[in-house]
Amino acid sequence: MQMPVTRKLMLYVLLCLLGLTTVFPFLWMVSTSFKTQTEVFSLRPNFIPRNLFTDKMWDNYQTILVRHKFLRYVQNSLFVATTAAFGQLVACSMAGFAFARMKFRGKEILFGMLLATLMIPVEVTIIPEYLIMLKLGWYNTYLPLIVPSMMVGSFGTFLFRSFFENIPSSLEDAAFIDGVNSWQMFFKVFLPNAKPAIASLFIIAFMNNWNDLLRPVIYLDSDHLWTATMGLMQFKGNYGTQWHLLLTGSVVSVIPLIAVYILMQRYFVEGMLSSGVKG
Amino acid sequence: MKYGRVAPWIFLLPTIVGLGLFRVGPIIAAFLVSFTRWNVISAPRWLGLANYSELINSEVFWRVLKNTAVFSLTYVPGVMICGLFLAVLVNNKLRGITFFRGLYYLPVITSTVAIGVVWSWILSPRFGILTRFLHGLGVVNVPSFLGDSRYALLTLVVVYVWKMAGYHMILFLAGLQNIPAVYYEAAKIDGATPWQQLRYVTLPLLSTTTFFIMIIALIQSLQTFDLTFAMTEGGPNNASATLSFFTYVNAFVHFRMGYAASMSFVLFLIVGTLTLVNFWARKYWVSTLD
Amino acid sequence: MLKRVSMFLVVLLMLSFAAGAAGQEITLRYFMWDPTFADIERELIDEFEKQNPNIKVEMTAMDPSSYWPRISAMATAGELPDVFCMSTGYFEQWAQDGLLMNIQELVDRDLNVDDYFVEVFSENRYPDKQSGDMYAIPYAWVTPVLFYNKDMFDEAGLAYPDDNWTWDDFLAAAQKLTVRSGPRLPAERYGFFWYGRYAHIEPWVYANSGRILNEQKTRIQIDDRAREALQFLSDLTNVHQVSPPYKEIVGISQDNLFPLGQVAMWVDGSWNIENIRRTAGEDFRFGIARVPKGPSAVPGDTTTYFWPDAIAISATTPHKEAAWALVKFLVGEHRPIESYMAGKVPIHKGLAYSKEWLQEDRQPGNMQLILEQGEGVGRTTFTLGWSEWRGYAATGSSGMNGELDKVSNGEQTVDEAIKAITEYGNGVLSRYYPEE
Repeated sequence: MQMPVTRKLMLYVLLCLLGLTTVFPFLWMVSTSFKTQTEVFSLRPNFIPRNLFTDKMWDNYQTILVRHKFLRYVQNSLFVATTAAFGQLVACSMAGFAFARMKFRGKEILFGMLLATLMIPVEVTIIPEYLIMLKLGWYNTYLPLIVPSMMVGSFGTFLFRSFFENIPSSLEDAAFIDGVNSWQMFFKVFLPNAKPAIASLFIIAFMNNWNDLLRPVIYLDSDHLWTATMGLMQFKGNYGTQWHLLLTGSVVSVIPLIAVYILMQRYFVEGMLSSGVKG
Repeated sequence: MKYGRVAPWIFLLPTIVGLGLFRVGPIIAAFLVSFTRWNVISAPRWLGLANYSELINSEVFWRVLKNTAVFSLTYVPGVMICGLFLAVLVNNKLRGITFFRGLYYLPVITSTVAIGVVWSWILSPRFGILTRFLHGLGVVNVPSFLGDSRYALLTLVVVYVWKMAGYHMILFLAGLQNIPAVYYEAAKIDGATPWQQLRYVTLPLLSTTTFFIMIIALIQSLQTFDLTFAMTEGGPNNASATLSFFTYVNAFVHFRMGYAASMSFVLFLIVGTLTLVNFWARKYWVSTLD
Repeated sequence: MLKRVSMFLVVLLMLSFAAGAAGQEITLRYFMWDPTFADIERELIDEFEKQNPNIKVEMTAMDPSSYWPRISAMATAGELPDVFCMSTGYFEQWAQDGLLMNIQELVDRDLNVDDYFVEVFSENRYPDKQSGDMYAIPYAWVTPVLFYNKDMFDEAGLAYPDDNWTWDDFLAAAQKLTVRSGPRLPAERYGFFWYGRYAHIEPWVYANSGRILNEQKTRIQIDDRAREALQFLSDLTNVHQVSPPYKEIVGISQDNLFPLGQVAMWVDGSWNIENIRRTAGEDFRFGIARVPKGPSAVPGDTTTYFWPDAIAISATTPHKEAAWALVKFLVGEHRPIESYMAGKVPIHKGLAYSKEWLQEDRQPGNMQLILEQGEGVGRTTFTLGWSEWRGYAATGSSGMNGELDKVSNGEQTVDEAIKAITEYGNGVLSRYYPEE
């Protein structure tokens, strides 16, 4: 079934217009990343930085990546966020499956507790959490940033629960007739049908972990362990902010997040576009 | 008992251990702290219900609570509608659609600091382009979007919706893609228009996802600290301060942890109740593929 | 068997003595809050380590909004660094909670007070600002000055501000400097701007010999002279319209208004010299002057508003002497001038009066004015819970800040604001100072 050309055109126009509204702050960020500190704030905003296409163009990038060790921080964040996101996939898909399809005592209470943890802001629980981590000896390691994510995730569990609930029980019944056990049901029947959920959770869990600032600030002492968000804060001083460097760092920070997004879209979502539920 | 008795607990093992070790303890501690006066750097002092009574009598708290309610009531529908709209839009099989999906996702991952600076500048009464644009259209009294206490909060909502629409687009998209094509085909055979398809196929089959997204959006509307700090610092005079901002400020600027904890639990009570009500009402509008 | 064991123990003992005698290396942890100066600070630390070979310093630099949650968490766990930065806003609370070491005897023993701006030390004395012991020591201080755009003054044919300026002179100048194309429109250029910020308000109050707090600094008690100052500022905006209402200037960082040529005059902290140079570049010439004395100023009153950034030693550090050695170095004459932003004054007079700091060849050229202010009597409004009632940093829109912003927006009168500030402020202060 082909889409009429006029419809296609209208869609493209709409897409582009909307795209313009979402992209301009990012464009400003990129443009500022090529500016010198004096150029950042001026009355007539100049979108074309003075140093563009000169040999000084990449100065800011060089400065932050090397002198301010930003490359190291980005690598650290990549490691932490990837591990945490994978951990979330494992823990939340399993838990979501149990909540969606199984019957057990205390189900709704447990689920309620999970949701409740989302509603208490981190700033009031961080100090007690910090004391627990100290007791465990996890201070100045990545463990406080990764291990909780590998075990429990309210958002992810809720997401998977919703998705798994939406899979028709006819599939489940058929599989039972074939004599599968819980694990096979989980791996062979439900997970393959939840690819969009997997992709979405990975994207979001990765992003949430990447953007977390409070936990790395509290737990990470040695500067070689610092994450990208902490690295960005290096450009804020007591009496002023080095905007040109801060925004350069923000641009660099965005790249892994976009990459994860595109990867997930390619490998998980595209495959589902026309197939629907697999039998 | 199709799965047996033991299976659920095995699947839930990491969650239960994780909850117990890392989440429940700090929450109980925070609850206890809400009955104390604690500035973090010295020992807590028991106060009984004094924090809660201070909250109830605090004009600022009620103002902030009202702001939070207004924020949530406008943000949740706003971001859901925008997210759904975008998701339906990018669910089309067009060349390069992945590029557009990425584009709409950009605000979600752009740092809040950068977004704060750019939007503040755009909306600024002195040289903001929006102001100049409106002047050009002949509007005489362009309001100060961020500086006027009547508009500051709603402006924050608009910026936050703009930022997070892409996030909800992803979630709605995942939900849309889970709807088997066969339903659409059946509807088209019956002669349904795209509008009718949306109403009778998409929306009902999207309902579990919609419910999930609604709860998530509600919780998100309570996590507004970063954007508020970047754009208005709760101003002018607390006009745009939400509970998230107020809690952070009391916890880590004033170091009144006890007070911050007490307001968190008041918020938790309110949101928890709302969520419970929503879960109870769920059976009236959420259907699954079954 | 016993003989073997005892021999083994003796050898072990000897080895450990040897190790102890040879190493004796002390590692100090130092936390500072200005990452933008971290490399310069690191150079200073390297110099210190060279001069003190048995002391190693692990320095960590965090931006202010990360610094405080982190340091406080460390305090909870009893893990404070040996040496760390301390602000005037939080000093009293930390001293009260016993986290800072009393360094009075060390100061008396090792420092020649004539080398330092002793008046500034008062902000780090506890419990009494005049007679208390020192629990932290400043490494720099700042004071508000009046910035003015020389080119705009020349254009309007006005003489530059001087020490004899009265508030009427100021108003007249501001009126001539305000440029607007039509009545009741926002001006293209304002003579001046202000809002509720502490660095904008307090200088005018003190210039009129006014007080915001009572004598003991435990309650809000805005006296008539302070009220006069607030009314003057309010009139600048609402009556004479030489200053914009606050809501008109949001969206631009307040410290960029003057450098971007939006206003002709500005009162704020001296550290802004650095930013003005950077943002304005060669666009215009600027100068600094004292905040004009008000009509009710007591003759001979040299009260000025200044406040320090300080360094403290943890009360529980096991390395008292080593930590003090580091602190002495950080506040002393070895500190490179580049570690001070232009306009931020070193606590050491030798450094402050040096050519490198005064920079007479660069704008504004008369920085010794700042130093003169530092020789006056200091007054501030810092109390326990200051951030709560004053409205500072992330809370910039609330408390006294917020109430005065409303005055600037024409939403309430000065008297209504004073009433609100007093009520709210005393509510906060009575929690910290429960007596009376």
